[in-house]
Amino acid sequence: MRQLLSLLVFLAALCTASSVSDYHEQLLLRPLHPSLLLASFNFQSNTSLASFEQQNFRYFPRSLGQILQHANTRELHLRFSLGRWDAESWGARPWGGAREGGTGVELWAWVEAETDEEADGRWLTLTNALSGLFCASLNFIDSTRTTRPVMSFQPSGDHKNSTLSDLHLLHGTLPREVVCTENLTPFLKLLPCKGKAGISSLLDGHKLFDASWQSMSIDVRPICNAGSNDCQLQITQTIDMVLDIQRSKRPRDNPIPRPVPNEELKCDTSKPYNSDNACFPLDAADQEEEWSLSQIFGHSLKGTCPLATDGADPVCINIPHTRHVYASEGAHEHKDDSGYMRCFAIDGDKDFEIVLPQQEISEKAPLEEPLLYAERSFIGYGQERGGVQAILTNPSPTNAVDFVYMESLPWFMKLYLHTLKAKINGLDEDIIKEMYYRPALDRKRGTQLEVRILIPANSTVVLTYDFEKAILRYTEYPPDANRGFDIAPAVITIGNVSIRTTSLLLPLPTPDFSMPYNVIILTSTVMALSFGFIFNLLVRRFVAMDEGDKWDVRAVRLKALAAVKRFLSRFRKTEKLEKKE
Amino acid sequence: MAPSLPQFSAARMRSYIFRLPLFTRSIVAVIILLWVISIQSVWNVQQWGALIPDQIGLSSMYRTNTFPLVHVGFFHAFLNILALTPLLERFEAEYGTLTTLALFLGPLSTIPALLYTFVERGILHMNTTVLGASIWVFTLLAMEAVKTYKTNPYFSLGTTQVPTWTTPLVMVLFVSFLVPNTSFLGHMCGLAFGYGWGLGYLKFLAPPEWILRWIEGKLNLLGRLPHYVSVDQKTYGRFGVLPTANVSSVSLPTDGSIGMGLGLDIGIWDVNAHASGSLLRRDPRLLKLPPYLSFLCIVIGVAWLLVLPLDNYSRKTYISENALLPGQVHTYFAGSDQNIFGGYKREVDALGEKSNVEVNDKLEEFFRASGLKVARQKYEYKSAGETYSGENIYAILHAPRGDATEAIVLVGAWRNVDGVLNRNGVALVLTLARYFKTDSRAGPQAWVDAYHDTHQSPAIESLPLKSGALQGAVVIDYPFDHRFESLHIVYDGINGQLPNLDLLNTVVAIASGQMGIGTSLQQMWQHTDSYKDRLQTMLRGMLNQGLGHASGPHSSFIPYHVDAITLQPYGEGWQDEMAMGRVIESTFRSLNNLLEHLHQSFFFYLLMQANRFVSIGTYLPSAMLVAVNFTIMAIFLWVKSGSPLDPSTKLASAGGKPSLTIIKKGDAAAIAPKEILGVRERQLFMPLAVVAGSQFLGVLPLYLFNHTPGNFLSSIFSIFAILNSVFPFIVSSAIVRYFRPTNQQYQLIKAFSLLLLGMFLSSLATLNFSLAFLVGLLAAPLTYMQPFPGRPISTAFLVLVLSLLAPTTVLFAGTYYWKLGVGEVLKEAAFGWDVWGMNTQVVVWCVWWPAWLVGMILLFGKPRDECKEESKVVN
Repeated sequence: MRQLLSLLVFLAALCTASSVSDYHEQLLLRPLHPSLLLASFNFQSNTSLASFEQQNFRYFPRSLGQILQHANTRELHLRFSLGRWDAESWGARPWGGAREGGTGVELWAWVEAETDEEADGRWLTLTNALSGLFCASLNFIDSTRTTRPVMSFQPSGDHKNSTLSDLHLLHGTLPREVVCTENLTPFLKLLPCKGKAGISSLLDGHKLFDASWQSMSIDVRPICNAGSNDCQLQITQTIDMVLDIQRSKRPRDNPIPRPVPNEELKCDTSKPYNSDNACFPLDAADQEEEWSLSQIFGHSLKGTCPLATDGADPVCINIPHTRHVYASEGAHEHKDDSGYMRCFAIDGDKDFEIVLPQQEISEKAPLEEPLLYAERSFIGYGQERGGVQAILTNPSPTNAVDFVYMESLPWFMKLYLHTLKAKINGLDEDIIKEMYYRPALDRKRGTQLEVRILIPANSTVVLTYDFEKAILRYTEYPPDANRGFDIAPAVITIGNVSIRTTSLLLPLPTPDFSMPYNVIILTSTVMALSFGFIFNLLVRRFVAMDEGDKWDVRAVRLKALAAVKRFLSRFRKTEKLEKKE
Repeated sequence: MAPSLPQFSAARMRSYIFRLPLFTRSIVAVIILLWVISIQSVWNVQQWGALIPDQIGLSSMYRTNTFPLVHVGFFHAFLNILALTPLLERFEAEYGTLTTLALFLGPLSTIPALLYTFVERGILHMNTTVLGASIWVFTLLAMEAVKTYKTNPYFSLGTTQVPTWTTPLVMVLFVSFLVPNTSFLGHMCGLAFGYGWGLGYLKFLAPPEWILRWIEGKLNLLGRLPHYVSVDQKTYGRFGVLPTANVSSVSLPTDGSIGMGLGLDIGIWDVNAHASGSLLRRDPRLLKLPPYLSFLCIVIGVAWLLVLPLDNYSRKTYISENALLPGQVHTYFAGSDQNIFGGYKREVDALGEKSNVEVNDKLEEFFRASGLKVARQKYEYKSAGETYSGENIYAILHAPRGDATEAIVLVGAWRNVDGVLNRNGVALVLTLARYFKTDSRAGPQAWVDAYHDTHQSPAIESLPLKSGALQGAVVIDYPFDHRFESLHIVYDGINGQLPNLDLLNTVVAIASGQMGIGTSLQQMWQHTDSYKDRLQTMLRGMLNQGLGHASGPHSSFIPYHVDAITLQPYGEGWQDEMAMGRVIESTFRSLNNLLEHLHQSFFFYLLMQANRFVSIGTYLPSAMLVAVNFTIMAIFLWVKSGSPLDPSTKLASAGGKPSLTIIKKGDAAAIAPKEILGVRERQLFMPLAVVAGSQFLGVLPLYLFNHTPGNFLSSIFSIFAILNSVFPFIVSSAIVRYFRPTNQQYQLIKAFSLLLLGMFLSSLATLNFSLAFLVGLLAAPLTYMQPFPGRPISTAFLVLVLSLLAPTTVLFAGTYYWKLGVGEVLKEAAFGWDVWGMNTQVVVWCVWWPAWLVGMILLFGKPRDECKEESKVVN
């Protein structure tokens, strides 16, 4: 009876909320192999398009809303990512890769404008405004880093047909940007509870940026009910991170791993040589690590966000039901039927904590297999040319995968399109279905390459192409030129799932930067010497030896004498004159 | 031709100073006097004379007049005098001494001072003291600027027109920015007065002229005072016309005259040079010089190398890349890790003699248990008829938080270069792999090739797992099972390429500084830091570099611009494998600190101790000098072959007077014997054919020794060596028989051969210094080879010397000295050629051997006597 009541209340709340504006937040925890934990935070709020246009903001952040209105942006996707998702051991990406960007910062948006030039202007406005809002170097997304993808991205929101023709998709990446705490703070400020209560209270810069992999995303899109004119604007903010449980459990003031003490060493005692000084380490794979929320995130969860009124359980954890979980008082556990998911309803004001003890357990929550494994690396060596090799593997034994592979390369990496080859399982076969290529213009725009490929089931495609490295002007090198230049990850779009490869580090021919100074010094010296020589020749009067002044003692004495005489004679003259007068 | 430009000369300066007008002099004198007085400490002159805004009252009004005369110190006074004197001199010359006196002791100092006091005290409410004559300098500058503005209103800077009156403002800004403790406001007040005066608003302050005239007349100042400038003089005095107005008109013609003068000068020198040059070239003394010069080059080249180990010519190593911070971090490889190491060591021992695949199966299991990603790579190389195949196993540890753009490699070869099981090394890699990310000759090469995708498939498999760009590689070679004393660092790469010196320095700093482990290079187990030891280390290094072979598994990495070294513990001591582990851990931590690829330090160096080196700039001249010796001789022989035959014989045969001719060059002329100007026809075909032929022949041994199966190499070499000793004689006889070359043709053969040798060696010296130097030194006698007809004993002696220095003999002697088999060495070389891409053979067979061959051909040559023939024709 009571349950039914609560369900009714929940439904009622859902109905009323959907018509005006609502807010929803949820944290999903999923242990990964080996001793890692994926934490996915999801914050979603809706506002009606009408109230948004009247600048009546409730859950929708005003700062972002005004920027979108000013830049005529209808749909926005912003990503901040760090690290590398290890698909081989961690399986499919959270959200199917939809809430994820390449290393660094990635931004794409649909801007409403009548002409391309107008769209470019609004894109510039948008990137500069967002740059200020998120303390990121988004303003460096200039024309050389902006592309207009043709096949890769599709609008995820519902747009009216009338506006759809005026929408321009612009896409920009900053692979070099290091995501850090200064990006997290403005991100949290956009949330209704601002990191003070609810699941967002767990977000702490120290832990987030210590993760093996992390991604922050903001998506703004309009959603309309089919057939009706009742449209809403939805903002979804997510943070996904993969935390190393052992690493997180280390004390904060002493985070360096140390060898375990001899007593705690787990040795394979079956080995004949096992003794005090020889120990073969035991594989600890079937031991589940002990952890708790406060160990992982630094503190426990501070109640719920009072604005999240949809009644959904704020914390869920994806583990087998046989695993023991101890939750703090006042929390209700709901296990679902699949056997691998349980959620917790939390008492509003109290701190919430869950503890998972160490447990020997063979059962594991199943890993979802990704649709495609993608790996990209440089091939070749030298300062002049290079190549890129992308290995794309379809693990599925039954389904073929149709995908679009998109590269946006900087202008100084000059692609040779004729060298683009796709090999399937080591054989040359024509598997490129469609291609869009926009060549680079020096210092104006980068290369854009989109290729549609169909991979049959259980096969591997190796995509290779060669490129030439341009020589930059002296001032175009960054301060750490010898580190190399970051190349943005390739985007692989499979329907609405997207996968990104890792970014690459391209070493370009770099000049010896101390050389210009040496040259300046050397040329200045030569100039000074030659100038001095010529100037000397010009100015010096050449006199024969006997005509020259002689500076011996006698000459000086004579001169002094003459001077005295002259002086005296002048005085005499004046005396005479006076006498005359 | 004396230029009439207003020139700077001491005489002019002196006269300028002696002609300074009276008031200027006295002001300078007063300033100096006040400075001298201020040296004493009894009376504070600065305090007395300075303009202190707060203390300006009726009683202390004198400060408004005295402040420009008082200075803070010597430099202040000196610089102000320097700036003030010319300006004041101009002013005085224009307005007369009396006016200047009246103005400078009156309004010109009081008004800016009061203005300053008013602004400072009244508006800004501050109390900054000002001192010095700079206020006058700016007042005068402003006056001058306004004057300039009237005649020449703008100067153009690029496209913008800048009014000239702003220049003093710019100067004020400059001074206030660049010179510390200057009063911007004070200078501005001075400027304000100056502009006011220049524009004529303040002229009323000047005393009326009739008063001045009256005073001047009454006191007869003009007569009494030296250097006095009269009031009248200003109207018809020195500057009848404004000086600034006529500068351009005056300077133009002077410029012109200088240009002409200069042109004439150069013209004359030119003619002289030409005339003397053509005469000098025929100087018999000069023609005798080059052989000695080239000998001197060789001697200096060798001596140069020998002085390098001295303290004055080598430098101490230093870490150039500050980001490395070697030894700054704690290492944590200790404690219970030793037990685990023990466990792995037993496992490796047990695997000992098993096959590659079995070993890799086990290793894969170990890596997987540590939670690393493992992959394998099969490879197969064919060289000298043998197949080298195997399987690499490697694991990747992704750094937490890393984005897989960069990687460092740690290599442990299963068997080291000498074929001994790398027992502790592999175990150490396994143990360390718990913290970090692995055959010994071909394996690393296959791996690196495949990493950069330059491998030859299908013999070598592609890598299934990859990470980012390789930043560095460290190889562990620890084959024995006891404690060690010191670390031996191997750093030579293939073809004499070296890793960045910073990597070596880092390891040395960590091993000796942090861990207290000694380091050594080039198998110098004992190094006493003496000249002898340093030289020996350097020569060993040069020999290794010159041979260009791989000295360890790390060598394969270096051609890919991945800096790599091998660490080999040696000796009996008290350092255990944990210390070795800590060295590696610390090195990796240092490399991890790198933000950029290693680029700061040297890539070209010779090491003579673990912490002493010479860089390329210091050592390169020695190899270059040796190479230059060939070029000098080549040029000399070319000139000599073109010059007529010995004049004495010619004269004797012709029996007449030499006909004279006149050389004209411009205006100069010279008379010279006709024949020395003539150039003898050079017969080029035969010499070119011989040299080109011998160069092409070089390909033969190159192919032969790289493609013969290993077991025949030794016998093939013996046959080649025997043929090699007979071959030059046969070729030479054939040439003599069929071509009957003249002496000139022999000279040309030698010239071309030496020219090529010099060219090859000097360019090789920049790539592989040691090889160029060694080959240059061994080929040095070739400079002096020529036919010695009719002197069989010296010919035989020289043939013997050259045969001893033949590439084959040197190779044989080398293998004998190091107690190696010739076949073995050649097999190794063929392996290097096929697998590593070593190109020492090319230099030996295509550069050195052809030059040697030509040298031998020359020795056996019999030149035809041209003089006799010519005389026959004449008769």
